[in-house]
Formats: sequence, C-alpha cells, structure tokens
Amino acid sequence: MTQERRSPVAGSWRASPNAIKLNQSMRLMRRDVLLSGIGALAAWGGASAAPALDTVPPPVPAVDPGLARFMDVSHCLTDRTELDSAVGAALYAGMVQAKPERTAQIATLYDLKAKYRLITAAELAKAAEKADKALKETIHDIMIGWYRGVAGGKVVVYRTALMFDITKDAIYPKTYAAGGPFYWTTKPPEVARPTGLPALSPSPFVVEPT
Amino acid sequence: MSSDQNLSADVVIVGSGVAGSSIANELVRAGISVIVLEAGPRVDRQHFVENFRNLENKPSYQGPFPSTPWAPHPPNQQSPNKYLHTTGPDAEAYQQAYLRLMGGTTWHWAGCAWRYLPSDFELKTRYGQGRDWALSYDDLEPFYYQAEVMMGVCGPDPSVEDLGSPRKQPYPMEALPLSYAGEQFRKLITEKTPWRIVHEPQARNTRPYDGRPTCEGHNNCMPICPIGAMYNGSYSVYHAEAAGAKFIPNAVVYKIERDAANKKVTAVHYYDPDKGSHRVSGKYFVIAAHCIETAKLLLLSADEQSPDGVANSSGHVGRNMMDHTGVQVTFISGDKALWPGRGPLETNVIDNFRDGSWRNERGAYLVHMVDDNQVDFATQLAISKGYVGRELEEQIRYLASHTVRLFSHNEALPDPENRLTLSKTEKDVLGIPHPEVYYKLPQYTVRSCDHTRSVFKQLIHLMHGTDEEWTPGYFPQDHPSGSTIMGVAPKDSVVDGHCRTHDHENLFIASSSVFSTVGTGNITLTVAAIALRVADTLKKELLHG
Repeated sequence: MTQERRSPVAGSWRASPNAIKLNQSMRLMRRDVLLSGIGALAAWGGASAAPALDTVPPPVPAVDPGLARFMDVSHCLTDRTELDSAVGAALYAGMVQAKPERTAQIATLYDLKAKYRLITAAELAKAAEKADKALKETIHDIMIGWYRGVAGGKVVVYRTALMFDITKDAIYPKTYAAGGPFYWTTKPPEVARPTGLPALSPSPFVVEPT
Repeated sequence: MSSDQNLSADVVIVGSGVAGSSIANELVRAGISVIVLEAGPRVDRQHFVENFRNLENKPSYQGPFPSTPWAPHPPNQQSPNKYLHTTGPDAEAYQQAYLRLMGGTTWHWAGCAWRYLPSDFELKTRYGQGRDWALSYDDLEPFYYQAEVMMGVCGPDPSVEDLGSPRKQPYPMEALPLSYAGEQFRKLITEKTPWRIVHEPQARNTRPYDGRPTCEGHNNCMPICPIGAMYNGSYSVYHAEAAGAKFIPNAVVYKIERDAANKKVTAVHYYDPDKGSHRVSGKYFVIAAHCIETAKLLLLSADEQSPDGVANSSGHVGRNMMDHTGVQVTFISGDKALWPGRGPLETNVIDNFRDGSWRNERGAYLVHMVDDNQVDFATQLAISKGYVGRELEEQIRYLASHTVRLFSHNEALPDPENRLTLSKTEKDVLGIPHPEVYYKLPQYTVRSCDHTRSVFKQLIHLMHGTDEEWTPGYFPQDHPSGSTIMGVAPKDSVVDGHCRTHDHENLFIASSSVFSTVGTGNITLTVAAIALRVADTLKKELLHG
C-alpha cells in the first residue's frame, strides 16, 4: 500500500460558520475583540492597521463617544446598572459594522433618554418608537446583542449572554452543563406568569430555517 | 489523471459511517485486511464543538459541519438546496440532511437506538401494505444485540417496560432517567390519556463505557455531543484503525469496476481532492455510503456493461425513497414550569402508535416530547413580542420554562416513483453530478400525519397550551431509506436478505438504502445491525470459503 496522497486543498479545510461569513482578517480578530475591551472597536474594523505591540507603547485608551452612548442606552434598555464593558464594546462594534446607521440611531436614543429624563427600558422604548418607527429595529438589535450575545448576525458571546445569566438557576447553556450526571431529574424552579406588558409593537417572529 | 498506486485489500468499503466503520472493525479483528474509503475529511470533535458555540443559528444541525468542495453534503434543510435537489409535490418533505465526513452522519444524531418491531419486517404479510423484508426480526436479533453492545445502548428492563422487540439479553446499560420535564409529561400521559411514555433506548452512556464518559446532559446530542458520551461512527473508526484497518479520507469513489462477465466487482476508483484518480482492488466490496450517496454511486458507475447503473438490472436503484416524514408543533404550556433542555435531547416517547391493525390503512408513528433548551427560542420570541428590560427578562424565563415541542416520526411506504436520479445540470468540483430526488408523500403517510395532528391537539389541550406554532406541511426526519431495496426477487429488488446485490456476487450494500419498509424509530441501530450481519457473512466466506 502507498501513502495517502495529501492535498493542499484538503489541508486548508477548516472553515467555521463565522469564518465563512467573515474575510480572513476578520476571522483572526474575533477572539481579540472579546479580550481587548476598549480596543474592540478598532479590532472589529481591522486591526491590521494597528502598530505592533513590541515596538510602540500601548496608547492611552480614548473613550469612544459612540460606545459610551451605546453603554448608557444599554443600561436603560436592560434595566440594569451593570453590564460588561468589554462585551458592550464588541457588540457595538459588530452592530455598527453590520449597519452603520446604528451609530446615529443610538445617538438619537441617547438624546431621547436625556431630553425626557427617561429611566426605565419601557419608557425609553415607547418614546423611541413614537419618535421614529425605525428605532424599534435598533432596540431589537440592542436586545439581541445583550440577551443573545449576537451582533451583526455573528456570535459575540455565547455562554455569558444575558439570556443564560437570567436562567442560570434552572438550566445550562448547551455544551456547558456542570450539574453532573442525572442532574436533570431534579425539580427546577417554578416561574410565575409575568404580568408586565410589551413596550414595543409586536413584530413577526421568524424562526430561522435549519 | 491516473495514479500508479495499486491499493488492495480483502475487503474494500466505501463510506466510514456507522455501517462502514463497524464492518471494518469486525473484519480486521478477524484477520481480514480492510481499506475504507471516505469521501470527506477526517475531523475532530472539539473543532465542531467550537463551531457550534460560534453558530448564530443554533438549531441548524448542519451548521457546525461545513462540507468540502470535493465531498459536498446538503448545507441545510432548505429548498431549493445547493446540493440535494428535491422535486415533486412534496419536495420540501424530502430535504434530507447528512454528512460526508470520517465517522458519518452520526456526528449529529440524538442517539435514539430503536430496534424495529417484528411486524415492521412483515408489513405486506400482516397488513397488506408495502413489502416484506427478505429477512425476519429473528434473523436480525443477534445482530441488534451486537450493535447495542458496540454502541453502548441504554434502555429499560423489558420485564418492566416491554418495547415490543423481543430480547434475549438485557440492554448493555440501564435506561437513562427521564428529565423532570419528561417525568411531568409521563405523569400527564399516564393519568389523562390511554397512552404511555417509555424510556427511549439510546446509544448514550449511563455509566462509563468503552472508554467514554457518562452523559452529563449538555443537551447538545444534535448537532454535537461535546464529551463523547454518545456513540458515533468515529468510535468504530478509531477501534478499527487501532486493529489495523486502513481508512483513507478525502477519497471520493466515482466508479465501480466489474469483470468481463459483469458478475464480480474487481475494483473501485476514487478521486482525491485534486482529481487524481486511484484504483483500489479487493475480493469483496461493501458500499456503505449513506442511502443517497450509495444510490448515487451505483448510478454514476453506469457503463456499457450496465447502462442503467451497477447492480441495477431490476431498475430499482434510486427508487422507493422513504423517510420518517414528521409533524411538529411548538406551544406554550399553561401548566407548571417544565424547563425542557435539562439533560439529553430525547429521553421519552409515546410508543402506542408504532403498531396496530390500523396499519392496513395508515402508517405507524412515534411521538417525542423534545427536551430541548428553549432559552434562545424564548429570547427571540419575547423580543419579537416587543418586550424590553425587566419585562423581557420575566418573559424569557417564563417562555423558556413553558415552551413544549412535540414531533413525530411517521412511516412511509416504498413507491418506485419516489426516485433518486443524477442531476443533469448540477455537478460538484470533481464533475460528479449532484443527487436529485422526486418525492410525493404516500397517502399512507399523509393519513398517519393527520392522525398525529389530532393526537397533538389533544395533548396541547391537556397542557392548557397557547401560541401553537405548527411547522408548515411535513418535515424531513433525515432517515432516508429504500434506494437499493431488499427483496427475494431480483426482478424488483437490488439486494437479497444478506445485503448482497443480486447482480454482483461479491458486492454488498450496508445502509438504510436496503430497507424494504421504514417502520418507526430512528434507523441507525437497524443500519448497524444489518452492517454487522454483512460482516458476519463476509467473515464466513473469507475465513471458511
């Protein structure tokens, strides 16, 4: 028998779902986005322009005003005082990269919140949709970002998405179970029927085809 | 381009899934040389676990497994499709998903390891429908057990919970305990319906087994078990390789060569990714390349000797395509929280509709209450309803803990008009035509699905369900079968009861493609049992003449 013939084409096959959507330079940067926090915006935009770290001292990070507005609006729309700033930077970068108009729309949300001194998520969402119907989609993007960990159709965080944080007393994210064999036989917590109302008008619910 | 390589073995196997790899393992351990040719690449589990975690559309079972240009597989279950082209009135119902990778499609399966019922092999005799197999349940029973031991199947004690398939030995492992959600569903069914819930037999460890760990309930059996507690074909590949079998990845078989008399296969030819051609000779050949790819290869090998394709004197290669076309509904339970998705994906089944006198007019089926983590679904649903902030979080918790999904596997019948052919217009990078399937649901299946819908409506009512979302039409269950159908008569079947082709004495087929009918329950254990029976036949012939 002879040796298996090795193909350079075969050897290069290692595509991942995100990699399929991204170009080569973007593919290399996703993990860095998660790790670099304040530098994430530059990374998502293409860090190849950044100088090498071993030749230039790291710059003092400047606060991107767009990112600051995004974080402020996010705190309001989640009714949370604490959100992870590194995740926020990556979400904002992904969101704006996919839809550049989000920068201005988030600024509008920020201005609305300040102008009317809005406190709760419901107040801001209602005011936003009343002011401009297009802002509903922007709010959806922000909710999808924080709760699903997805921005611009790409996964930014999985295990630490808020949807898993708020259900962690009952269930694990898929592939991250830590309860040991047969944990699933125990009784999970009861959940009362919610009484809160939606703040935005309903939208068609489209299940992605498999 | 043709290489001067001269690969040869006692037995040459095309396909490295459960069937091909388990045959290889059996034969090589009996001292028989084996070469396995796999069209796709060798893969590792963690790569695909990472792909899954990075996948935005988590329910996409094909998503973590991108195919290669030289061995394409369906990228998804959408019609039209970039690889498997379906046509006919029920084209979407036959949009199957499968993988062309080392280890095969069981990289994503739920581990459900059903034996067929004795009646499933005698549908024509007992109910006047479809066909009888050219083997009986009793013929297959020892190989069912061998397959259960090979895979590591857990299941209930038959003296407590009889699943209807007589057993001579107990399951290798005790049944998997039902989840809390499954247990609540079982209580409801027991107390308020005439039906019952059984523990589904599964190729999943309830104790350390065969060097693999106990299931930890990651709820990701499909698309990828992250720890290998669930059997898949890769484990039989590893075992066979350790014993000396040679597996060649990225080897796309495109031709089956026969002798001058057209009675014996002499070699198969494969392309590597650069379209270099290689010839592999042997004494025996087994095509174990999945139902669709197996038929495709036989048709692709048509030449002057066999103008309609290899092993196709009956004209039945590619015909009689079947599946467990199903019905699915998702709704919000009005009862107490269930929190589905804690534990393995599928643990419980209503099995009352697997057999009965009514099979003379409608197909059998079984019902799963899927134990799937609904947090992501709940989040998307709640956002679409317009919730934000604190109210959104309350909705996510409620919907994730109360969402219920039911689906069924409904029995098809072999119909020669439901047919796989080679595409006349679509080819892959090697110039090999894509498969095309015409499909029209048999009325037998349609009536079965109608019955299922009525049962689901009763269950939704019992659970005070709201927000019903019925998956439109019928959906494929990825259990394709029938394309090289088994039978006694060479005039209307492709293989005999031992899976030997009627036309070529040293050519066997080990795949769901040989199924004469499709019964109920996932097909993989029956595929494995048939494959092990093929291995047994080959051992007898090679070792004892």
